[in-house]
Parts: sequence; structure tokens; C-alpha cells
Amino acid sequence: MRIFRVLFLLSALAALGAAAAPLPELFNARLKSVVGVEFFVQSEIDRQPVSVLGTVIDNQGTIILPGAAIQPGVAPAQLRDFKVYRPGSTVPANAEYLGQDAFTGWHFIRVEEKLRAELVPITAYPALAGDPPVSEEWWGIGLRNKDEDFMPYFLSSRVAMLMKLPQKTAILGSEVAGPGLPVFNAAGQFAGLALTSFGQNFLVFSHNQNGSPIMLVNVEESSAVMLADEVLPYLGRVPQSVSGRPIPWLGAYGLQPMDPEVAKLLRLENQSGVVLSDILDGSPADQAGLKDRDIVLALDGQTLPRLKPDHIVAGWFGQQILLRRPGDELTLSILRGTDRREVRVRLGDEPKLVREADRHYFERLGFTAREFLYADGLLHRVKPADLRGVAVHFVKPGGPVAAAGLRPDDWIREIDGTEIKTYADAIARLEAIEADKDRSEFVLLVSRGGETSVLRVKLI
Amino acid sequence: MRDIQPPSIIRGLLLAALAGLILPVAAGAAMSRGFNRLLEAVVRIDVREIEFEDGARRFTGGIGSGVIISADGLILTNAHVASPQAVEISVTLASLERVGAKLVGWDHWTDLAVLRLDLNEVRRRKLSFTSAEFGDTAELYSGQTVFAVGTPYGLTRTITRGIISNNNRPFADTQGVRGYETGLFNTWLQTDAAINPGNSGGPLVTEDGKVVGINSRAYIGAENLGFAIPADIAQRVSAELVRHGSITRSYLGLVPGVLQDLERFYALEANTGLLLNGVDPGSPAARAGLRAGDVVLTLNGRKLDGRFPEQLPPIQQAIASLPVGSPVALEVKRGSQTLAFTVQTEKLESRVGEEWAFEKWGLSVRQVTRAFARENQLADQSGVIVLGVQPGYPAAEAGLERGDIITKVGSVPVRELAGLKSIYESFAANPAPQLVEALRDRHISLYVIKP
Repeated sequence: MRIFRVLFLLSALAALGAAAAPLPELFNARLKSVVGVEFFVQSEIDRQPVSVLGTVIDNQGTIILPGAAIQPGVAPAQLRDFKVYRPGSTVPANAEYLGQDAFTGWHFIRVEEKLRAELVPITAYPALAGDPPVSEEWWGIGLRNKDEDFMPYFLSSRVAMLMKLPQKTAILGSEVAGPGLPVFNAAGQFAGLALTSFGQNFLVFSHNQNGSPIMLVNVEESSAVMLADEVLPYLGRVPQSVSGRPIPWLGAYGLQPMDPEVAKLLRLENQSGVVLSDILDGSPADQAGLKDRDIVLALDGQTLPRLKPDHIVAGWFGQQILLRRPGDELTLSILRGTDRREVRVRLGDEPKLVREADRHYFERLGFTAREFLYADGLLHRVKPADLRGVAVHFVKPGGPVAAAGLRPDDWIREIDGTEIKTYADAIARLEAIEADKDRSEFVLLVSRGGETSVLRVKLI
Repeated sequence: MRDIQPPSIIRGLLLAALAGLILPVAAGAAMSRGFNRLLEAVVRIDVREIEFEDGARRFTGGIGSGVIISADGLILTNAHVASPQAVEISVTLASLERVGAKLVGWDHWTDLAVLRLDLNEVRRRKLSFTSAEFGDTAELYSGQTVFAVGTPYGLTRTITRGIISNNNRPFADTQGVRGYETGLFNTWLQTDAAINPGNSGGPLVTEDGKVVGINSRAYIGAENLGFAIPADIAQRVSAELVRHGSITRSYLGLVPGVLQDLERFYALEANTGLLLNGVDPGSPAARAGLRAGDVVLTLNGRKLDGRFPEQLPPIQQAIASLPVGSPVALEVKRGSQTLAFTVQTEKLESRVGEEWAFEKWGLSVRQVTRAFARENQLADQSGVIVLGVQPGYPAAEAGLERGDIITKVGSVPVRELAGLKSIYESFAANPAPQLVEALRDRHISLYVIKP
């Protein structure tokens, strides 16, 4: 039995050794999974550098960036010159933008071949399964800014609580990693991905402020970590096209949670629900016969979970839709007035998004015209059948249309007294005006917030 | 005796010399006589009124100025000084004696209100007052010296001096008088006589003490940009308020724009036409088929000229003064066509609806009106707007907030304030949790108001 005992001792030592691997070593090894990423957002009149942090997810050099890295509405064509830096390195590698995944919100990029050998994907490490015990100590990596060569630094904290937001998220006592970067436990297991940090409330005292409340958001580090179980299954959602499509669409707007008091009054004790405020005309929800004010209680037989804060259930419902594909069918159990019924919905394709819309910048006129989209129709409260004209996407400060009072999101309905039927029609007319050097003015009929006005634009 | 008589030339000189001496004195005397009379007619007004903010029915107070305009004790002031929400109005006469007064009528569109002194009290206490005289607004010129008299910041009988800076200033404001619309139907006198809070409702007078305007607004933080309602409009409005208690105006739903510089684009002769920037959705004009970009050439055969902003209020006034429910013939230029429309006028309504407080709920509300629904692009004018909630009371605990629109309670749609009042009454008699449906930024949410 002696040999057994020795073996047992050895294996125990090995286990101990793994658990107690010195953190500096683990830290240095895990640095191969994190990068600093810089790119530019090219707009009509300027070029904004953006610097974010990314995590390597496979051996093909695929890197995920937090959803907040890029403003919604920015077209992929505006994203330029992605450069990837290893921590502490001054030598960049080029990368290509692959698109945004609708469910996770992550932006995906792929770095060029030469750097891939130096990178290790987050999937190469053992992952933490299940819920971590409260008080467990985790650690993560922070990266300094580009002017400090994205120098890495060590952060650690303990798990303070777990929340479903709706993904399971650990809240730590203090900042534990840069937003978008992985977090590990003492054994070096991948514990989760740091989210964009939450706001924290503070009071400001100064000689002229007496305890004014303010909210602070730490943009460099985060203490909220989405658990590995919520990250790993979705790493394969690399967009097939830069548009991020296919994106499923239900067409119910304004999802509002049903709070427990309301549930009790409706005799739905211990149930959760989502109020569908507005069923959009012609949408899959509309075609399925859903009505404004319907309350969804279950989806494909699964009752909606009770989550806190209450509004998280609306996010949960939205995500369940986004996990499906256009053409998929699902059954919603709803409450309409006092009737309960089942509604079968066939999901459609998300209408064209701002980032996908055609747009054209008119330098001399000083603005960008964009296709008038379904979403613009919502903003201006127009039925889908009446989607005509063009939207104002950008107005150059101090330019001719700015002087005339045009603003972004305005809806141009007529140009020089002629109703605009299509985007192409509008562009042709505006191009003709732009090209006509003898033109000293033109006239737009514009809608904003339900009010129209005639704007006279003077050209210099 | 003839010799004693000075030669006529000398007499002439003497007269001239005397005139030189006497005339300024005479003018000074005339000014002080007229001015003294005016000063005797200017009053301070203290108002105690109901306010439906923050989920409760509360009393608040305000101070303004006013001017007595008739021997039977009519007082002209601003609508934003004395409104129908006033429960107690107390007037301080020039003699410093206080007398009660009642609201005769108000008109927020011109920011005017008329009060009547309690004459029984005046007689019983043997008090006296004088009434002011109106001057001719048409004769005012820019640069003319004027005086503002009133109670700025409660400083009774304050006189400030300035000039008419502009006698035809357009200055409309959709929420200028306690959230009510104002200034759409008149232009204003602009003056640099200092006008401060509390001057409101006091007169703007000429050197001889004639009332030419009612001071009502100033740019706060600006240097001496004050505005007064011209006396001719004040006289007309006050006469009608005395007769009917309110002013009925007609509405077509035309939203005019300034035509200046656009005549060539619309192929119009100069000084012709009223450009429509828009047409209120659902208004008589919209139903008749008018639309943005149309140019109205004539109204009931009368040519319109809306070239400059100053010209729009009189046109609006002309429309407003048409009888309610009468057909109006409009000749309209649209592109190269000239079209004829007949539009039936409707009664003009404010965006501000009736207000109320449900005190057990800690909830104050206001009826949604047609104009409010239009401004906020609501589907219709049903529902009541939450003006405020009292912290710790059922409405606040349920999660309702200022700006929410209550559309349903239990299974009963709330179309009008009266509907909610009756629901509240049965709640008060028999308290039970109520399911409330409300709209916030187009999102429908459900709330529970618990006893």
C-alpha cells in the first residue's frame, strides 16, 4: 500500500501545485489572450481615434471587443485602420472588422497572420463551471493607454454577489479587469469576461457644492464580470457578414416588465411577464395577431423568469428573440385583458439598420442624406406604407443647411417643392443642386417632431 | 393809453420770453397732474391660488401689479398674475389700503386679466381711488420716453423710466403664461424701462400718465428688454372679458412661416401671401386638404401679406376673430396651381387642460387636450397627464412619474378627467388596489395604486 500512498501524495501535491501556481506566472501566461485595439471612426468632417481592449477567442486571430466600443449607427465603412497591440508592445498588427453580433453585442475583428502565433485564445484555459462561491478571490488584467504602450497591470478582488442581468454576472468588491478583458480565479481558470463598468453613485463636496449626488463610471476598469458559462457558448457567433445579419425580428416595441404587484392584482402570483407596448404595423408580431398591451407570460412553454431589477425580464425576452433566426417560429402565451391565449409567431428579418443604410454627404450643402428607414418612421410616427423622403444623418456645423436650421434626424419631404419619393430621387436632386455652381439657394420642406417647416438654404 | 401799450413787436418778444419761461413749467404741471392721477390708479395685487403640482392641491402666493381703468373698480393686470386658480385676490390701493377683488375674466393668449374691486368694501370703508386713462398706441414712436409703474419684487409704487425700444415686436411663446400659449395674436411694445418680476400687470405710461401698455414680460438676465401688451389690445380684450368673462377665438390649424426671401421660389409678387410652414394634424385646415408649403393668397377675399414676422400676429388675429363654425374661403397657391378651399372654423383651445389632485393617491393630473395630443404626437386626446406625485403616497409608490399619461384604470379606459374622478370617488368610498395603465415615452406600463 505504500506505493499507493506515495502516488496519492504525489497527485495531491500535483493538485496543490496547480492550484498554487504563482500568480505572476499565470498573469504573464494570460497576457497572451488580451490585446489593445486602436481604430478610427471616419466621419464627414473628422477622424476620431478609438482605443479599446479585446480578448482573443480562437486560433484564427479572432478578437472580441465590447459592444460599447462602437456607437450604434456608425457604418462599417466608417471604421478604419484597425491595429492590434500586444500588452507592452509598440508594434501593431493590422486587423479586419468582421461585424457585430446582435445577441452578445460583441464586435468581432480578425488580426493578421503574423501576430496569431503570439496569441492564445481564452478557450485554451480550463474554465470555471457553475456559480463561484461568494468571497472567492479573482484576478484580471488591466491595460494602460496606447501612449503607455498598453502596459499590462494586475488587478484582483473578491466575488461580492451574483446577479442575473439576465446573464449571470458576478459583481466584485472592486475593479478586477479592463472592460472586455478576461478574469481568472486563483487556479488560472477562465472565470468570466469583464463588462463595461456600471455607474456608481457618489456625493461631491467642494467649496461651492454641498454634497451633490453624481454618478461616476470607471471607463478603464470594471468590477462586473459575466460568468464563463455565459461567454463560452457564444464565442462561435462570429458574424457571417459585416452587417451582422441574419438578425431576427419580432416587431414589438417598448417591452415593459410586469412588476410583482401588478402580477398579484392580475392573479398571476409568482409569474413574470412583459407588456408589449406597441405592435409595429406589418411586423411579424402584427401578422401573428399580437396586439398593443398584450402581456407575454411564456415563450415556447417556458414561463418568463422573475428577475431583479424588474426591467431585466424585458431584456431577457429581447435576447430570447435574438437567439433565434429569421423564419423560426415560436409560441407566445399571452394575457389580453382577461383572456389567455397562445400566439404563434414566425420571426422576420430586422428592417434595415442605420449602420446599413445608404447615405451621401454633400460637401457644399453641408449635410449627409440617408435612406429614410423603418426606424425613422417610428421616430416620426409614420406608418411603414408612408416611408418616403430622406433622413438627415449629419449636419456640418456652420454649413449652409445648418444656417438654415436643418438638424440631424430631420425628415426631408420635399426638395424645391417636389415631393421626394425615393432615396435615389433625393440624391439625384441634391447632386444636381450641389453641382450647379450658379445656384444661390434651394428650399426644403422638413418635418421634426410632427411639425413641418419650409427651410430656405442659401448657398455661398 | 395807446402809448402805454408796448409796440406789438415787443409784445411778441415778451410773449415769447414768457412762453420760454412758462411752457416748461406748464408741461411739468401737466405731467405731474396726469402722472399723479395715474399713480393713484396703480395697485399692488396679492394673489393666493391653488396649484396642482407635486401630487397635491396646494396654496401658493404671488405678487403683481395692476391699473384701475374704470370708476366702477375694474383693474387690468396680467393673466399670469391672476388666473381662475386664484382663490383670494387682495388689492393694495395707492392709499396703501387693502381691498378684496374678484377675477372678472382672463385671456392667456394676450396675457391679460380683469379684476373688479369689492366696491361695497370700498364704500363701507370710505376709500377712494382714481382710474387711469388710456393713451393712443398708434401714436407711439420708437424712442419715446415711457415709464413703467408697478411693484417689482414687492416694492410698491416703483417707477422706472425708459423709451419705447420697438413698438411692434412679435413674441409668441407656446408655454409663456403658466404653461399656456401666449402672444400668437398680438405684437408687443418693447421698452428698456426696467421691468422686474412683480412689475407684471402694471402700466407702461407716457409722460402725461396715459396708459399705453400693460407690462408683462422681460428677458431675465438680459439688460432691460421688457415687453408690454399694447393698450389698444388691452382695451379691446378687457371690454370683451367684462362682457363674456372669456374670449372666444376661431381656429383653422394653419401654422404660418415667414415668406421673406421666398417670394421668388413660390413665384409670387412681393407682399403677397401667407406661407404655411405646416398644418396642424387633424385640424380643420388639414381635413380640408391644406398642407405644408401651400401659400394662402386670400382669406374670405382679403389679400394676405405674411412677408415679415411682425405681420403674422395680425393675420392670426384676423382668423381668430372670425365666428366659430363659419366657413372660410381660402385661395391657395400650390406649385403652379391656384386652388380654392373652404374651411370651417373651430373654437380655439389651449394645450392646457383642466387640473385636479387626488389627494389620497398623492397624484395631481391634467386633462390631455387636442392641442397637447397634437404637440406630443399622441394617437388621440384621451387620458390625463400626471403633473406630479407626492413622495411616499400610493401613486409614487406605484411608480408613476410626472409626465406619464394615465389611459386606463382597472378595465375602464380613462378618456377624461371626469372619468378618473369617479374612479377615485369609488376608491375613496371603498379602497382597493387599482391597476393603472400609463404611457411613458410611448411605452405602456402597468402600475398598482394600493390604499
